[in-house]
Amino acid sequence: MGIAMAVAVITTMLFLGQIGNIDWTNITQGGYVLQNEAVELIPSIGVSWKVGADALSFPMIWLTAVLIPISMLVEWDAKRGHLFHPLLLVMEGALLGVFVVLDLFVFYVFWELTLIPMFLLILMWGGDDRRYASMKFFIYTFTASVIMLIGILVMYFHTDPISGLGSLTGHHFDLVAMTAQENLIPSEGLRHLVWLMLLIGFATKMPSVPVHTWLPDAHVQAPTAGSMLLAGVMLKMGAYGFLRVAVTIFPESTIEFIPLLIALGMASLVYGAWVCMGQTNLKRMVAYSSVSHMGLIFLGIATMQPLGIAGALFMMFAHGIISPLLFAVAGAFKHHYHTLEIGSMRGIAHHSPWLAAHMMLGWMASLGLPLLAGFVAEVAILIAFWMTYGWLVLLPALTLIITAVYYLSSMQRTIFESNDPENGILPDTMHGEEPRDITWHENAGMLVLGAMTVLFGIMPFIFWDMMSDWSSDFTVETLIDAMHSQGWKP
Amino acid sequence: MSSILTDIDLDTTMLLLPEILMLLGIVAMILIPNLGDATMRIPLTRTRVPIFIGGTRSEFSNNPKLPNTIASGVLGLALLTSFIYLGEEADVGNALHINEFSRLFTLLFTTALLLATIATSTRMPAKPKATPPLVADSDEVADSKVAALIDNRRQVDFHILLLTTGLGMSLMAMATNLFMLFVCLELASLSSYVLVAFHKEADVGGEAGMKYFMVGSVVSAIGIYGMSLLYIWSGSLDMVDLAAAWSAMETNDPLAIIGVGMMMVAFGFKVGAAPFHLAVPDAYSGASSPIAGLLATASKAMGFVALIRLLLIVTMPPSGQAIWMLSIALIAVLTMTWGNLAALTSDNPKRMLAYSSVAHAGYMLAAMAAIGSGLADTSTSSMILTAVVFHLLILVLFKLGAFLVLSMLESDGGGHRIEDLHGLVRREPAIGVAMFVFMLSLAGVPPLSGFLSKLLMINGIVSVSAGTGAATSTTVADWAGGVDPLFWLAVAIVLNSALSLFYYLRIGLVMFFESPETESGLRKAPNLRLAIFGCALLTLLFGVGPMSEWLLDMVTSAVDSMMGL
Repeated sequence: MGIAMAVAVITTMLFLGQIGNIDWTNITQGGYVLQNEAVELIPSIGVSWKVGADALSFPMIWLTAVLIPISMLVEWDAKRGHLFHPLLLVMEGALLGVFVVLDLFVFYVFWELTLIPMFLLILMWGGDDRRYASMKFFIYTFTASVIMLIGILVMYFHTDPISGLGSLTGHHFDLVAMTAQENLIPSEGLRHLVWLMLLIGFATKMPSVPVHTWLPDAHVQAPTAGSMLLAGVMLKMGAYGFLRVAVTIFPESTIEFIPLLIALGMASLVYGAWVCMGQTNLKRMVAYSSVSHMGLIFLGIATMQPLGIAGALFMMFAHGIISPLLFAVAGAFKHHYHTLEIGSMRGIAHHSPWLAAHMMLGWMASLGLPLLAGFVAEVAILIAFWMTYGWLVLLPALTLIITAVYYLSSMQRTIFESNDPENGILPDTMHGEEPRDITWHENAGMLVLGAMTVLFGIMPFIFWDMMSDWSSDFTVETLIDAMHSQGWKP
Repeated sequence: MSSILTDIDLDTTMLLLPEILMLLGIVAMILIPNLGDATMRIPLTRTRVPIFIGGTRSEFSNNPKLPNTIASGVLGLALLTSFIYLGEEADVGNALHINEFSRLFTLLFTTALLLATIATSTRMPAKPKATPPLVADSDEVADSKVAALIDNRRQVDFHILLLTTGLGMSLMAMATNLFMLFVCLELASLSSYVLVAFHKEADVGGEAGMKYFMVGSVVSAIGIYGMSLLYIWSGSLDMVDLAAAWSAMETNDPLAIIGVGMMMVAFGFKVGAAPFHLAVPDAYSGASSPIAGLLATASKAMGFVALIRLLLIVTMPPSGQAIWMLSIALIAVLTMTWGNLAALTSDNPKRMLAYSSVAHAGYMLAAMAAIGSGLADTSTSSMILTAVVFHLLILVLFKLGAFLVLSMLESDGGGHRIEDLHGLVRREPAIGVAMFVFMLSLAGVPPLSGFLSKLLMINGIVSVSAGTGAATSTTVADWAGGVDPLFWLAVAIVLNSALSLFYYLRIGLVMFFESPETESGLRKAPNLRLAIFGCALLTLLFGVGPMSEWLLDMVTSAVDSMMGL
């Protein structure tokens, strides 16, 4: 465990150390920092090892590098730690790979590689129903990514040869060159088809209604660290890939399908929030709230405003620190109270003040309390949505009230309300024992996450400036032309 | 008139070293296990001189491991020499031509045979009651158990047949004469029929061998009849002469067409193409797993060499569509769809792999059809053929590898039901993971080598068929109307691959999720384990990185040597 932790911390340090070397002024669309010279992997079919980071991927890389040590810390005492912690490191490698590569073949490989550690985490350390959950998780995401692969292949067959790549086939997987190629798929119908295939792959990962049903099962059964990474980073892979591949390469199709995006986003947002109100299982509730928040990302992209896209980016990031906090809290709750039922106990504040404090902070951040990270993203998306669609903004805005309702009511039922203010009601699973408060390592992990939630709520500009620059450039360079050519007026 | 014997000088003979080694191996296999202390009395005297053949055999010649050691040694040497002589090119007599293409296939055949030999080293009981060694046994106990299991003479028969198969296949890959090609094909085929029936531990072994033999011989008869028609038509069986006669033919001569059609039936049976594949599942599931793996890889490759020679050298017109293109395309679609649908419903893993092998034949036939369409220029044809040959080569790794895993199960009496694979990952994590890698590669998941070859084949089909006015269309329907019909072969491959994921992943799922029927580990077979891990590792290495590039380059230059580029 110690070694795994050391490796993770060193990786994080190395990464954070690199930040000073980055030319921040260059973070715009198309301009990647830290980009390497492409190394040929399979030149015959045009696969190369090409990596780079920009404002789209940078926060995600940051998030991965920071979340892995924290999730290790939170599950410091995991059973079979000699397997558990290395698996988290494999996960880190695969996730970082997804966010840095600029070659679709390697991207796909890393994309699938993230499945394996997560699948094993659920299967080997999961709850009672782990087989069903891990199988469902695997089948859903794998099927979706196969469809995505077919889309990628169609794109591949349309690429023009570039020198040194694809000596046998005449095509390549280079994402940058694909983006640069004018009119990658000339046929409009085929382009839409490919866009939809990509959407299926990415939307299942995000996940969006109606392909979200694997998420609650996977979350409920996954171990705490697995849930934290699943919600914190893996879901963002969907949004990241959607922006990086589908929107960047096919802006026309994106504009064509904006009604679909709004429908999916609204459905996820409203349905996720609505279902949350009926949940009695803590993790299931947080999982559905993730579905709901991911819907906001689609809405942010659908605004086609720099502000909305920056909001979506910030939502990816903010949700990436808030939801791990929520799952860490849920995991600690399960750990010490042996249950996840929301109504089964009252007055945690009395028994476990630290846990109650973290729970409170996480839920408040998730429902969008000002000065916490979630608020920045939500308000940016809503403003942009209003700028584009006018009064239609009432629907997402009102949904946020539902969010507040379910969080506040469960807060009242678990943390505070107790018939006897001196002693809370303990769940039956405790068999009358007095629970202890959370352990030091759980507490430390949650403290860091909580601190970041507050930090990025008060000083969002740390990442916000970079994101909004990128979104402006992205809108100007990629979306405007497409909007004109589609005759689309926001 | 020259004959094979008069034309050969020493240099050319050296180039035949792999085949000569196999021949020597067969002789050694007959002689060495019979070495004993027998003596012979010189007539009319009382002096007895030792003749060494017969009598009481020494411990060395009686050793049950001996035949297997000889076979693996010979095959290993043949593999090595064919690799060393890879770049050489020479005529041997007027019926054999050695070039990179044929040597690459020798490489393939000997690798497959070597893997099958390794898998056989600790199985083949002479008595049904003998128990195989377990992991817990010490080396000595394991050796004694293997010794009890194995009958030296039965081993000799088996390994001689293996070497004969190798010899036949290897010579067939060089044949430039249809007669020679057929003789070598039959040498390999007849040996493999016996090998299929050799699996007497299972009741179905004999039945499978019989079925395979009956169908195989009828099909061979058809092929030979077709060949005789070709001979009547042109007066020669040399492929170069036939090709010249074919391109000089102005109107289609029914004699020639029927002849070629009948030969296509014979070779189609060898590659396992529908509707000639009906004996394949029975043969594979009845044969012992290493032999089934051999049929699925080496035997299939042999059929494809014959098909490539017949279709691309003899009957490929210099320009325009080949006459066989439509039939091959239809057979391809039928084969892959039938194979995958049947594999979906199979509960026997060997049968499932057999049908998957049929489906893979379909993918490769589709690629052949793309060459036959006449739309491909030389470099594209070469690329497509590279994809096919590459696929045949790497199939040895992951298809035979999967059969090797089944072989491990089979020697414990399992491997015939999907239940035997239940919880394999829990019983033997490394073997289970290797099996999962094989399944993913068969399904064609990046970055495993199965994806690379499939991508190349699809790329070949797409690049010859797309771009016929499809670019300007706006709707999908317009676009679909604008592409060459051949394009739908690529779509068929993609859809079929998606379909095949279900049964490949099903194996993975039962290995990970179901509880095993027994918790005990598998048998002790260090060589076989090593072979399985090697296959799994190479499956990955040939899929991405410098090694895949190296193999692709090798195949490309081999294909160029065949096409005379």
